[in-house]
Amino acid sequence: MATPALKHLEHLLQTRRLDGTLLKPWSQDTRPAAPTGISALDEALGGGLARGELSELVGARSSGRTSALVATLAAATRRSGIVALVDACDRFDPVSAAEAGVALDRVLWVRGPSMTVEMARPGLLDRAVRQALRAFDLIIRSGGFDVVALDVADVPPVFFRALPAATWMRLARANEGSRTACLLVGAAPMGRSARGVTVRLEARARWAGDSLQSRRLGGLGVEATVGQGRLGRDGAAWAVGAEAACTPA
Amino acid sequence: MYACLIREPAGAGTGAALETAARACSPRVARIGPDAVLFDARGLTRAIGPASDIAREVARLAADHGVEARVAIAGSMTAAWLLARATPGVTVAPFARRAQAAAVSTLPLSWLSTLPDFRRGVAGWSNAGADFVGPAEAGPSGRQNSRQASGASGGAGFSRPHAKAVGRPTPRRRKGARTRHYRLAPGPEPGVFGEPPPLVPDVDEHLVTLARWGLRTLGDLARLPRADLHARLGPAGVRLHQAACGEDAVPLVPAGAAPRFLERVELEWPVEGLEPLSFVLGRLCDALSSSLERANRGAVGLTTRLRLVTRETHARALRLPAPMRDARVLRTLIQLDLESHPPAAGIDVVEIEADVAPATIVQGSLLARAMPAGEHLATLLARLGALMGESRVGAPAPVDTHDDRAVAMTAFAPASRMPSSGESPPAAPAPGFRRFRLPIAARVSVSRGLPARVQPSARGLPGGLVVAAAGPWRSSGRWWSLAGDGWDRDEWDVEVAGGHLYRLSRDRASGQWVIEGAVD
Repeated sequence: MATPALKHLEHLLQTRRLDGTLLKPWSQDTRPAAPTGISALDEALGGGLARGELSELVGARSSGRTSALVATLAAATRRSGIVALVDACDRFDPVSAAEAGVALDRVLWVRGPSMTVEMARPGLLDRAVRQALRAFDLIIRSGGFDVVALDVADVPPVFFRALPAATWMRLARANEGSRTACLLVGAAPMGRSARGVTVRLEARARWAGDSLQSRRLGGLGVEATVGQGRLGRDGAAWAVGAEAACTPA
Repeated sequence: MYACLIREPAGAGTGAALETAARACSPRVARIGPDAVLFDARGLTRAIGPASDIAREVARLAADHGVEARVAIAGSMTAAWLLARATPGVTVAPFARRAQAAAVSTLPLSWLSTLPDFRRGVAGWSNAGADFVGPAEAGPSGRQNSRQASGASGGAGFSRPHAKAVGRPTPRRRKGARTRHYRLAPGPEPGVFGEPPPLVPDVDEHLVTLARWGLRTLGDLARLPRADLHARLGPAGVRLHQAACGEDAVPLVPAGAAPRFLERVELEWPVEGLEPLSFVLGRLCDALSSSLERANRGAVGLTTRLRLVTRETHARALRLPAPMRDARVLRTLIQLDLESHPPAAGIDVVEIEADVAPATIVQGSLLARAMPAGEHLATLLARLGALMGESRVGAPAPVDTHDDRAVAMTAFAPASRMPSSGESPPAAPAPGFRRFRLPIAARVSVSRGLPARVQPSARGLPGGLVVAAAGPWRSSGRWWSLAGDGWDRDEWDVEVAGGHLYRLSRDRASGQWVIEGAVD
């Protein structure tokens, strides 16, 4: 039972939109969420990615991060929402995204410089990351988007350690209370907000076909673990089977 | 909402003074002959008040200019014209579309002959549309001169200049033929309206026909089926029926040169840099925004001209996605554009000109998802363009090619639409693909026709033994092009040790292997 003084304090924090920093258990039922379109992942997330929060999809290369990102964008555009993707290293593939169901005309695509990240000079990469963060910040502050994603999956995590500590807090604060679900896609956890989630992904390739001639990449078997914010509850692991064939050309 | 001012037949003043009074109320004024003007009165309710106040204010303005005028305000030009012609003093009709017919329904039929379409009651009207004869020259009634001056349709009429039957050229009269004037019976309220003009059979043959049918008022005509009138009288019948219903066939065509929305300032000393320039831009945008608001217009394009100390002109043109007139937004957009394309020297003169369009009122839907306002979206796109480069911001666009490397962008302008209920998410999401926009060269060992080992040239990209591979899928195109943009390659999906999934391609002409991207 909350005392009147505590209630008064909470009210003051709410009026100043500082209640996001409160340590209180929240109900998954009442939390507004943006479904990712992957039923298993949505179930584990309690309906989807939290709106007004900064969540993360992290994992190594070929762990299914882009699949989950594209599925989230597709689900949002299916709901007639508009989405924004800040593509720090210009690695978004519109052809495969359209095949996955993304309505391309509802995607604001902000492209970083086209470069080979794996060979880029540190200064160039650092500038690209800072530009992408600035663009991400601008989009969050403008509002009106269903999902805003920052794709820095190919940027080595060391670049983010050089950023000021307040960077992610500022972004989370800018999005707090809005109807936008913000998503960071990276190789390692970066800066989700207090009530955002970190989804760690691992995947194994699934090959179909018995003979050499009939063999094809059948999809990815993805396992995800949900790290549920500062309350320290870890979600269960589950598998997302992507059985749809990857069809080059 | 339209207002019509007609100089009293025996009143004081001139047509020019009447036009001046109208232009004091609205920039969209059409002069109909020497003694009448029509103007667009939309937006005056915010400045003056209800329509009755507007009518009184317009009449007072006309009196201030020395003109004794009748004023009528209605929802259509035709209704305003007819009411002003028929009713002395100030008349205000309801504005609803259906109410226009009721407003003019009791007028006697012969008032239709005064419509500019029929060249009646418009003394001195010439086919040039601007060559007016003064009232003194036009004669007291103006009817004789109007007959002589009739020709092609003028630009300010209420119907298209198409129908020969409607805008009839001067009828050839037989030598010695006498003109018979028909006088129709007055309408139900004879005391309200002035004396209806008599009909001339040679000119008003359709109105005479209608009179023979027993029609007396515009309401009688409006009750007839329009299709049947068209069958019997042709396009002229349709236009007469439209007029009887108080409908316009064409929009108002304002006379005179379109006003320019231009703000300019000559600086006492040159401005260096964009920061001090922002104060100048802010002042100009405030003035521009005010003038746009007065004219009920929004800017759809902005041209900024900066005269530099080197006597060169630095000009920038901006296209805006929606009509807007918020001074802060306009200033921000110009400033961001100038940040991307700064002038090369100090600035002497700053000039901003707006291309305008009617301001739009956006009505949100209760069912469709809310979208960002056009002004906010334009500002965001301008900021992103200034940050990342204009070519790096937009919506991905499909390219009509089989080349998977092709990519294009288009302007981001999503339309509001209803959420689709029938579309369900796929059972299993498709694997994502991260395309290396600059394909990374790789050394690939081939064993028994299959990639066996991949060694990327980029140090940060892991390679190794190929665990599994599928392919090749052959892709080729534009081999007929002389521009050298054709392609012919075999593509493979491979999994290397460590679980990394790549898409490799081998150029069939050169044999070079590259990594197209990673499945993720």
